[in-house]
Amino acid sequence: MKTFISAAMLTTTIMAFTSPVLADTIFLSTQLRPIEEATAVREQILQGLEGKVDYVVEEPPQFAVRMEAERQAGTHTISLVGALHGELSPLADKESLEPLDELATKLAGRIPQSLLDLGKLGKQTQQYIPWMQATYVMAAHKDALQYLPEGADINALTYDQLIAWGKTMAEKTGQPQIGFPAGPKGLMARYFEGYFYPSFTGGVVRTFKNPDAAAGWEKFKELWAVVSPNSTNYDFMQEPLAAGEVMVAWDHVARLKNAISAAPDNYVAFPAPAGPKGRGYMPVVAGLAIPKGAPDRAGAEQVIEHLSTQDTQLLTASLVGFFPTLDVTLPPDLDEGVALLAGAVNAIQTSKDAVISLLPIGLGDKGGEFNKVYMDAFQRIVLRGEPVADVLEAQGKVLGQLMADTTAPCWAPDAASEGACPVE
Amino acid sequence: MSAASATPANFPSSRRWLVWSGIAALCAWVLVPIYLVALGALGGRQGVYQWPKTGLPTGISIEPFLLFLRSEGVTQSFLNSLGAAGITVVLSIALGAPAGYALARYSFVGKDSYRLLVLLTRAFPLAILALPLTVSFIRLGLYDTVYGVGLIHTVLALPFAALVTQGIFLGVPRELEEAAWIFGCSRVQAFFKVVVPLAMPGIVATAVFAFVISWNEVFAASVLTVRNRTLTAYLLTVLSESPMHFRFAGGLLLILPSVVFIFAVRRYLFAIWGISSK
Repeated sequence: MKTFISAAMLTTTIMAFTSPVLADTIFLSTQLRPIEEATAVREQILQGLEGKVDYVVEEPPQFAVRMEAERQAGTHTISLVGALHGELSPLADKESLEPLDELATKLAGRIPQSLLDLGKLGKQTQQYIPWMQATYVMAAHKDALQYLPEGADINALTYDQLIAWGKTMAEKTGQPQIGFPAGPKGLMARYFEGYFYPSFTGGVVRTFKNPDAAAGWEKFKELWAVVSPNSTNYDFMQEPLAAGEVMVAWDHVARLKNAISAAPDNYVAFPAPAGPKGRGYMPVVAGLAIPKGAPDRAGAEQVIEHLSTQDTQLLTASLVGFFPTLDVTLPPDLDEGVALLAGAVNAIQTSKDAVISLLPIGLGDKGGEFNKVYMDAFQRIVLRGEPVADVLEAQGKVLGQLMADTTAPCWAPDAASEGACPVE
Repeated sequence: MSAASATPANFPSSRRWLVWSGIAALCAWVLVPIYLVALGALGGRQGVYQWPKTGLPTGISIEPFLLFLRSEGVTQSFLNSLGAAGITVVLSIALGAPAGYALARYSFVGKDSYRLLVLLTRAFPLAILALPLTVSFIRLGLYDTVYGVGLIHTVLALPFAALVTQGIFLGVPRELEEAAWIFGCSRVQAFFKVVVPLAMPGIVATAVFAFVISWNEVFAASVLTVRNRTLTAYLLTVLSESPMHFRFAGGLLLILPSVVFIFAVRRYLFAIWGISSK
């Protein structure tokens, strides 16, 4: 034991003298965290830069705490952050991001203007540069296609057809074969905000408790009867898909990529189903921003420029499954799995009934509470079987209060509002 | 019972059989999960999903391990983990054992409430304290250092250290200490020459606790550091969202040091179990 303690003390002392000198550009990211993706970023995507970049990953809660702590203390270690639109918006609210107008002007021809404008986060100056984009699609094992209802087009499914499909699969294979990522780290809340509500009600906040929504929840209960009950444990649908636990799944493209890329011949990817009001779909944008007081602003700008070149963006797409923000067409020799997913995204974008739903805007750090409103409604209505009208009434009050607190105006697909977005 | 009494000659052998099957069951309890984790770690991407499982190591691939060991920062974060755990062990013994001794030997006003208050440091979730803690760590210059992580882990381990060592010092007879005084030891000498050797196994067990608390703590270790991550913080940020075989590989890597550590101090652990069962 004594030897152990002295060994521990020795290690500690040695480490005190070998702490690395802070000279690299520190790039903190909430995206591309899984080890294979982070390794791809470190070893391939960030190659070719002059300075050394230290790519550090962090989960969103810690990210928010750290950025706020560095802002309050006024000492900065992070030079560049990569995060989702919704995670950068609270930082911009506190005026803690450097304006990036020069970079934005440089990239103006290459990144579509609508996407660049998202990076202003409602302000006069550019707050972040769009880095990668993604969305959510459905994927199915090819064995499941034989059970498709007659006359159904997989690229233009409706909820009724999906339910019929699920029923046939459950009858023929003996167990439910549709999966949703409703686990603790799954992205199920986005399904309700970007797919379910827009498809059934044509809105997200305004229509939260209207009769369309109530009818939608009844339909969703019907669907849930043919959904694998394990769904409440699934975080990343690529795993149950690859394991053969489910045949059909809805998830973020980056969370389906591993299964599909490993065996692209076995899968098809296709848009989420359409409801009475259209086919909901939610694009996701990750951006790059420089915190005010960044120790290495010049280095960070170089990294942004490097990540915005066409080559790097295509490399990113093939390695990690996020799509370019640049206006480029994906080359045909791209990773087959990514090509499949890109095909599904294209099918949504070109479908006539698409209803684009933006990520929540203006909620600041209340994004988590917003998600909770939808997940609570889901748990109470679907998992616990409480009456739809009561739950929507109660959750609608919570949502209304949340919107009033944040004074966030409506975003698409809700009609624009004066002041806080109302729950009607 | 009647069978046993009818054939007394067989009794010892069946008893031995029982003991050995008990030992086998206990070993299996510990080893089978570790074996399955190892199998998952070595089976490669598709191996994890194979069903039915063969239970035998087929298609061994050490590629996930290599990816770990090659990935930047694993060595550094392993050293950081050892460093933070070392600081935690040293500090929580250095501060916790005297506190435990005082609780065991002296009666003073507010002793009970002190005992309760000590536990309060564990009553606040770290997530709530994270922001003010990080801000003050930045101001104090402890942000992103192994010392900082060691200090916060010490705070987490101290209540256990104080309360566990109290129990241990209570187990050392006061008479022995008094005898030492009579034979000319000063209080400090008596403490180090008589009490400490007798309490050593317990103190080591406390050290194990402190080590494990520090080794397993994630939240503080990841919020308070950027580049000097501990191994658990480093692995868990990347592991929880990685494919299955990486999780198994990481799990195995995290199990091994604790197993080795506990193996190294097992003599003391058995001794403390001996004391507490008296």
